[in-house]
Amino acid sequence: MSLQVGNVRIDADELAARLGRAFAGELMDVAVQEPDTVVARLAREKVKDVARRLHDLDETPIDSLTLISSVDYVTHLECVYHLYSYAANLYVELHVELPRGRPVVATVSDVWPSADWHEREAWDMMGIVFEGHPDPRRILLKDDWIGHPLRKDYVDDVRNHPYV
Amino acid sequence: MALTDEVKRYLPDGIAARLKYPKLADFERPNVITTTADLVFNWARSHSVFPFQYGLACCAIEMLSSGFARYDIARYGMEVFRPTPRQCDLMIVAGTVNEKMAPVLLRLYEQMAEPKWVISMGACATSGGPFYDGYNVVNGVDKVVPVDVYIPGCPPRPEALFDGMLQLQRKIQQLTFARPEKVEPLYGADAPWHADVIGPQAQFGGRVSKKRLTP
Ligand code: SF4
Repeated sequence: MSLQVGNVRIDADELAARLGRAFAGELMDVAVQEPDTVVARLAREKVKDVARRLHDLDETPIDSLTLISSVDYVTHLECVYHLYSYAANLYVELHVELPRGRPVVATVSDVWPSADWHEREAWDMMGIVFEGHPDPRRILLKDDWIGHPLRKDYVDDVRNHPYV
Repeated sequence: MALTDEVKRYLPDGIAARLKYPKLADFERPNVITTTADLVFNWARSHSVFPFQYGLACCAIEMLSSGFARYDIARYGMEVFRPTPRQCDLMIVAGTVNEKMAPVLLRLYEQMAEPKWVISMGACATSGGPFYDGYNVVNGVDKVVPVDVYIPGCPPRPEALFDGMLQLQRKIQQLTFARPEKVEPLYGADAPWHADVIGPQAQFGGRVSKKRLTP
């Protein structure tokens, strides 16, 4: 693996084709969304396995996780992994759909260490549980906060506001 | 106190004995001792305020800007910003106070030595400002600590901060050793923390220090 940026000269279409071949049956709807971004959907049971294999991919390892964002679509929640490959200088977005009732997904912080704080933030703000996370505390709000404020159905609890 | 016969001739009856053995009651009303001491202490205090830099958000940039050469807070003798509460007597709360920061702010305020003052700088620290409805915002730092001067603005310009500091100087100059009962309470009796009030501290002009014992 080389950390020189963009030394593997492929474009997003080529990366999408490679990912489609290597992860047939796991990555769904692989598509090129922007000139440098490949988007794909992924079932939540396969996150751990696919993450490890993406990270160790031959020639173009997807070796960096820049952001985990969480979205509330009212019918379901979604976790979006924003990945980047230094070798190919291309981005990959993985969308993982989670049921509202039990939004649990495996942690990827052992694959990409930068996931640690992003997963804590997704738990803090959206209430997504990351199984196997080494330090599953809140990160932005105080530790005894009640609820997850970025959810659409969030109702503020008066106990969150001792200073009135 | 050495009082010569020469001096005693110019003093009203009975004062000489009381100057020699002053009783606590002598400090309840202004007299030659308290007013002179007030003058000296208030002059010193109001012209050497050590602010505690408590920048929480964008207002802090204006607070810093007022410290640099263009606006130059040193003109008012308030330039010695300190990073520790124990060396400060003025807390400039510049920015949004959120629920996680509020207990920390209260604790730092309690670590400051008396007499101490608080300036609430900007709309956020005064009332919550643009984030009034935010789920994590305390709607005004006066919910946590007593505030002496409020500076409106989003953010207030450095001139506004200076104006607030001059107001504070005027407030400091009204302090007196005497008349603790004349000092107006900072809050009404219906304030929720009224039960927790620590009594007036008479030696410093009865500045009322109100603390909530439990956050
Ligand atoms: S009052 Fe305005 S400038 Fe000051 S901290 Fe709040 S939002 Fe920022």
